[in-house]
Formats: sequence, structure tokens, C-alpha cells
Amino acid sequence: MQMFLRLPKLYKSVIEDVINEVRELFLDEGVDEQVLLELKTLWENKLLQSKAVEGFHTEEQAALQAAQQQQQQHQVQQVQQVQQVQQQVQQVHQVQQVNQPAQAQQVILPPQQQQAPQQQVIVQDSKILQHMSATGMSAAATAATLALPTGVTPYQQLITSQGQILQVVRAANGAQYIIQPQQQILVQQQMQPGSVQAPVIQQVLAPMQGGLSQQGVIIQPQQIVLASGNKVQGNPQLMQAAALAQQPGQAATAQVQQVQQVQQVQGSAAPQVPAQTQAQQPPMILQADGAGDTSSEDDQDDEEEEYGEDEEEEKDKDGGEDGQVEEEPLNSSDDVSDEEDQELFDTENVVVCQYDKIHRSKNKWKFHLKDGIMNLNGRDYVFSKAIGDAEW
Amino acid sequence: MAYQLYRNTTLGNSLQESLDELIQTQQITPQLALQVLLQFDKAINMALANRVRNRVNFRGSLNTYRFCDNVWTFVLNDVEFREVTDLVKVDKVKIVACDGKK
Repeated sequence: MQMFLRLPKLYKSVIEDVINEVRELFLDEGVDEQVLLELKTLWENKLLQSKAVEGFHTEEQAALQAAQQQQQQHQVQQVQQVQQVQQQVQQVHQVQQVNQPAQAQQVILPPQQQQAPQQQVIVQDSKILQHMSATGMSAAATAATLALPTGVTPYQQLITSQGQILQVVRAANGAQYIIQPQQQILVQQQMQPGSVQAPVIQQVLAPMQGGLSQQGVIIQPQQIVLASGNKVQGNPQLMQAAALAQQPGQAATAQVQQVQQVQQVQGSAAPQVPAQTQAQQPPMILQADGAGDTSSEDDQDDEEEEYGEDEEEEKDKDGGEDGQVEEEPLNSSDDVSDEEDQELFDTENVVVCQYDKIHRSKNKWKFHLKDGIMNLNGRDYVFSKAIGDAEW
Repeated sequence: MAYQLYRNTTLGNSLQESLDELIQTQQITPQLALQVLLQFDKAINMALANRVRNRVNFRGSLNTYRFCDNVWTFVLNDVEFREVTDLVKVDKVKIVACDGKK
């Protein structure tokens, strides 16, 4: 990547040149040197933020970046087994690297901070989670916090006698939950009276042995996020949580059913779930048409089979509908992150340059260009000469 | 006077944005900002001419072409930009080229 390596240097030298040249102008106008420095800082920060240039930094920021990168690497190793949050971590990684300007919502932690790790989950556009955590968080806790839906911020952290770090999390609707790392059950302390949005069950499973991916399950009102991963083992735990959650009432059951349905949609093959779902399904959903049409002729013959089909279809439908309603905001965020990963920006790819010679023969064009700056797929390139062919 | 061509690049745009911010907070005058941009034009033209020494090839299909006021504007589709070491593919690219002859 020859072009890449030279670019930061080139840009830096241009910046230095410009700043030095205009220093006089600034002084002539009676503008303080401070403003000039501010201009330089703003300029460099914007370049950093644009991600068009890699590895662009000044000396002051280099130290900060190095420290952050160390933290990131430490973190990344810890959460490597978390499949669900890998994407988010990537986002965080990218975002953190350009996170130089201190924004009002963020606290930049000094690297030496070991005690009382703090976390801030900041939502931007509901799509990017900015997560800065100090060392000392366990992988599961980090994953749990990263996996928190938008609007949920941990506001208290308790350390149990075993030395585990519990997080007391306050969700947007005011309910409080405790996330226990390496335990499967989220204990709910409060519940909204009379609301259908009942228990938010959050599960973070400990990293499985043998390198199996971690499974995080977050169930929120109208939001279900299920990580792909070990499905068979997930179900009993889910049911355990479901059993716990059934205490607050039937709404919980519905919620759990929805989860189970969604899991079914996801292709889970656990045999226990359909059994439980079957028993509780019929009172919930009435379907008078389609596969469940009781007036159809084939009814008597394949009743059992149909029932099975019905169920799957109903589950699929409900899971689909609910899943779509619930998954859509999450999926759309996935899409955005995917796009970013694939660098399919809507940046129009632009080349600004000078032409030496433009030639055409019938519909065959030849371009001889020079001294150009290109922005392709979001990244900057430069050339001193470019030769191209195209057919019109 | 050097071409103002390079103002619409990452480097140029970030400079313009920064200058705009300073104008907003009235730390500099628009006149001064303009002077800075002119200086930028000079610096970037010089840098490209003197500090960059690499060659790129590209191939694609030409969608549109325009030649007006001695400026060529092309839109190409399905283009591959090739340097010695690497390859970049884009679906669509716009090329704006000013006259390179002195």
C-alpha cells in the first residue's frame, strides 16, 4: 500500500506549510496565535474523523492513541469470544481511534485508572455505541454492557464478595436490572406497573469452553436480539429465565414465548421449546384463515400434521412479524455497520486532477492525467500520473 | 494563481470547515479565511507537483464526458484503479480535470 503510507506524511507537510505561511497573515490581521493553533487542531481533527487517511496523527495525539490502542487490544482480546459484539467492537475500535476531541458526553479515562472501572455507553444516532471501559472488566460484563440496548446506561457497579463485578443498570423505562457476569439470569428489581412491556431479560453467558461463541440474549419490549451461536444450550437457560420471569405475570410469558418463537425462527432445534410453546400457544393467537382455516376440506385428514404446520407457520408469522418489528431497528443498525465495514459509503468517488492529454478514437477514450487526489470508497489516494482507458 | 481545484478534497474540505467554524465564532474574518484558502491552494499544488511520485492506471467504461471552460469532467462506471501494489474497484467515479499545461 504505497499510496497509503505516504499520505499522512504528505498531508501533514501540507498542513505545516499552510499554517506557517498564514502565521504572518494572522499576525498582520492582529489575530492571536492561539487562533492559528486552533485552526490547526480543528483541521487535523477533521481529517482524523474522516477516516480517509490512516494513521494520521500529531505527536500529542500519538501518545493518547497508543494508550487507547493498548486498552483496546486488551479489551479486544477479552471480548474476542463474543460473537454478538464483535461488530460493535469494530465500530468502537474505529470510532475510538478518531475519538480525539473531547465531546461533551464523553469522559476520557486516564490509562492508570484501575479501581472502580467506569463505563459510559453513549448513543449516537442509535446506531453506534461508543464504549470506553477501563481495564478490570470481565469479558462477560463488558459484553453485557456493550450489548445493552440504546438508552441503557450502567450507573452503578457493585463488587460482590466473590469479586465479581455487578452492574446495576437503569433502563430507559426506569426499571433497574442487575447484570451478573457469568450468570445467566438477570434479576429484575422493578417493573412498570400495568405495562405490557414486562421483564427485560438479559442474559450474558460465560464464554463456553472449547472456544464456542458467546451467546448474548437481550429481550426488551419490542426488541429481541439474539446472537447466533450455541442454540441447544441456550434454550434451557432461556427457559430458566423464562421460569423466573413468569412470576410477574402473563405478560412475561408472552414475552418469553415471543423469544422462543424468534429462536425457532432462527432455526433453533431444541425440542423442549415447542413443547412448552404448544401448550401455551393456542390461547394467545387465533387464526381463522390461511393455514388455520377451519372451514377447509383437508382439515380432518391431516389434523395433526396441519397443527404442526400451523404452529410453525404461526410461529414463523408471529416471529416474523414480531421479529421484523423488533428486529428492524436492530437489523438496520446491522446494515449500517455492514456497509461501513464493506466501505460502501455514499461518498461519491471523486478524482480531482489535471489533464495532460485526453484522446479519443471512435468511442475509445484515453486519459493522461497528473497531480491528482482521489477519494475512493471513502479513502484518499494521490498520484503524480494516471493513465486510463475507457469505452463510451 | 494556483488552481482552486483541490479545495473539494478531504484535506481542502476539512480546512474550509475549520475556517467556517472560526468565522462563526468570530475569531477570524472571512477575508482572512480566504487568504488561508489561497495559501492552501498554493501549498497543495506544490506538494502534489513535488512530493508525490507515483503512477496509477485505471480502466472502466465511460458514462459521460464534458468539456467546458477548459475543464474536463468525466463519469466512469465499474472502474479499476491499479497501482503497482494494489487495486481499488469502484462502481462509479467522477473525474474533474483542469488543464495541466502551463
